[in-house]
Amino acid sequence: MNRLRPYLALLRGSYMVGMIYRYGFLFTILGNIVYLGVAFYLWRSIYQNVRTLHGLTFDQTFFYVALGSAVFILFKAYADWMISYDIREGMIAVYLTKPLDYQFYALFTSLGAALMNLTAITVPTVLLLTLVFKVHITPGPGLVVFPISLILAFLISFNFDYLVGLMAFYNESVWGLTITKEVILTVLSGALIPLQFFPDAIQKILLVLPFQAIYYTPLMMVTQPDQNLVIFLQMLAVQFLWVIATFVITRLVYTQAIKVLRVSGG
Amino acid sequence: MSLIHIQNLNKYFKVLNRREGMSGAFRDLFSGDYKIVKAVDGISYDIEVGEIVGYIGPNGAGKSTTIKMMTGILKPTDGVILVNGHTPYANRIRQAQIMGVVFGQRTQLWWDLPVIESFKILKEIYIVDQITFDRHMGMFNDLVGLKPLYSQQVRTLSLGQRMLCDITASFLHNPQVVFLDEPTIGLDVAIKAKIRSVIKELNQTRKTTIILTTHDLGDVEALCHRIIIIDKGKILYDGDIKKVTILFGAYRTLKVQFDDFSNSTLNDLDIKLKKRFGEKNDISIGQTEEFWTDVTIDQACTPLSDVLSLVMTNFNVFDVRIVEISMESVVQKIYNGALG
Repeated sequence: MNRLRPYLALLRGSYMVGMIYRYGFLFTILGNIVYLGVAFYLWRSIYQNVRTLHGLTFDQTFFYVALGSAVFILFKAYADWMISYDIREGMIAVYLTKPLDYQFYALFTSLGAALMNLTAITVPTVLLLTLVFKVHITPGPGLVVFPISLILAFLISFNFDYLVGLMAFYNESVWGLTITKEVILTVLSGALIPLQFFPDAIQKILLVLPFQAIYYTPLMMVTQPDQNLVIFLQMLAVQFLWVIATFVITRLVYTQAIKVLRVSGG
Repeated sequence: MSLIHIQNLNKYFKVLNRREGMSGAFRDLFSGDYKIVKAVDGISYDIEVGEIVGYIGPNGAGKSTTIKMMTGILKPTDGVILVNGHTPYANRIRQAQIMGVVFGQRTQLWWDLPVIESFKILKEIYIVDQITFDRHMGMFNDLVGLKPLYSQQVRTLSLGQRMLCDITASFLHNPQVVFLDEPTIGLDVAIKAKIRSVIKELNQTRKTTIILTTHDLGDVEALCHRIIIIDKGKILYDGDIKKVTILFGAYRTLKVQFDDFSNSTLNDLDIKLKKRFGEKNDISIGQTEEFWTDVTIDQACTPLSDVLSLVMTNFNVFDVRIVEISMESVVQKIYNGALG
C-alpha cells in the first residue's frame, strides 16, 4: 500500500486541478449536447425505413454512439500533450529527481483528470441520455462487467497517449503524431460508429487490432448486455492481453527513449 | 567515507553542426555532421557530510550537467560518481529519496494548486509521516513565514516567494544532500538575503550537505567555505573560498556610458589611465554590454574615486555604475594565473 501512496496523492492533485478549471467543462457538455442532437436526428433518418441494421436497433445504435462520445471525453486526459510538454520544456528533469516511476506518475495524473471528466462530463451526459432522449437500457450481465472493461480500456488508451508523448524525446513536436493518433483511434476503435457498420473484410482486420479494445468492447457490453457471461469474459481477456502488450511496448520504448536524454543531455 | 565521490568524470554530448539559412536547415535533415562537445571533462572531487559547496562558473561551464549526473538524470560517458556509496543513474528511484533538488528555472510545485497542496503531495511522494511533516512545516514557517502563502495558487506567487517555497519543498523529506541550481537567479537583493539565511540555517540545524550552483559570487561568499570553480568542463579551482575572496573581493568594475562614444575613446581612456596610474597597475578595460565600457580595478592598488574622477574630468559621461567583479572576469583572471 505504501508503494501506491505517492501515486494516489498525484491522482488527488490532478483531480483538484480539474476542479479549479471546472467552468471549462460547461463548454464541453454544451458541445456534446449539440453533437448528441445531431447524431440523434442523423441516425433516426438512417433508421427511417428499417427496424434493425447489422443486428442493431435504433435505440441500441444511438445509445452506442451517445455513450461513445461520453467515454471519448472521459478518456481525454491529454497525457500525450502533458508528457511531450514535460520533455520539451525539460520539466521531466524535475520528475526524474523524485522517487517516482515516470509512467505511473503520468498514469495516475491522467486517472485524476479522467475521474474529473467522469464526474463533470460523463455522468451528466448519461443522465441527459436517459432523461431527455429516453434511451432504454436492457438489463444483463454486460452491465456488471462494463466498469471493469472501462478501466482496462482506459489503460490501453493511456498507453497509446504515453507512447505518443514519449516520441517527444526523438522529435521536438508531437503535434502531428497526436492528431494522427486521434484520427486513427476515433475511426478504427469504433468510437464514432459500431464496427458492425464497416464492411466484413475491414471488420475482421479491426477486430485483431488493439483499437477496438478501447471503445468497441466496453460499448458493446452495454449496448447488448443480455448475452452469455462467457462472451463478456472472453472480451475482458482480450482487453487484458492488450493492456499487457501495450504496457510491455511502452516500457521498452521508455528505456530506449530515456537513453536519448541520458546520453545527449536535457 | 565522503558523501559524494567523483573521479575522472566525463560527459560528452554529440551535437549536430547546424548550418545557416533555409538551405542549410534542409541539408541538416540529412547531415551526419556531428561534433563532440565535452560538457564535463575529467573532473574529480569529494564532498563531505554537512558541507556547503559553491559550484560556480560562467554559462555553459558544465555546472548543470554535473548536477544532473549527481541526481541521476544523466548518465556519465565514463568515470566514477558515487552519492552515499551508490551510482545515481543506476539506482535513480532509491537515490531520489535521499536528495532534494531545486532547479531555479523550473518549479517542482503544482502550478495551478494552492501552495499547501504541493507540500501535501510531496509529503506522500516521499512518504513523510504526519508528525514529522507538521514539525517540518512549523520549522519552515518560523524560518520563512510561509503560512500566509499556503492558500495562494503557485502561479500567483512572485518569483522570490516561489523560490522560498521550492527550497522549503526540497528539504521536506530531510534529505542528506540538497542540490540548488541557481536558486537566486533573477531575484532582488532583499529576497536573496532571505534565501541565503534560510539555506544557512537549514545546513546548520540539520547538517544537510548543500551543493549550490550560482552565477552570483555574493551567494557563495555568504554561504560557502569551499568553492569549486569550473569552466569548459574542467575544474579551475577547488578549495577555501577565502583565498578567492581576498583576491577578488577588492576588485570593482566601473561601468561607464559615454556621451559621444567612438572607436578612439577606448584607446584614449587606456592611454590616460596608464599615464596617471602607471603601466603595472591592474586596470583592465573591456566591453561586455552594449553601450557600456568596463574598467576593472583592484581597490587595493588604485582608489576607485581617483579613477572615477579621471574619467569624469576627461570625458563626457552619460551614466556610471559600480559593480562587483563578474564570474567571467574571475575565470579570466584565474586563467591568467591569479591564484598561482
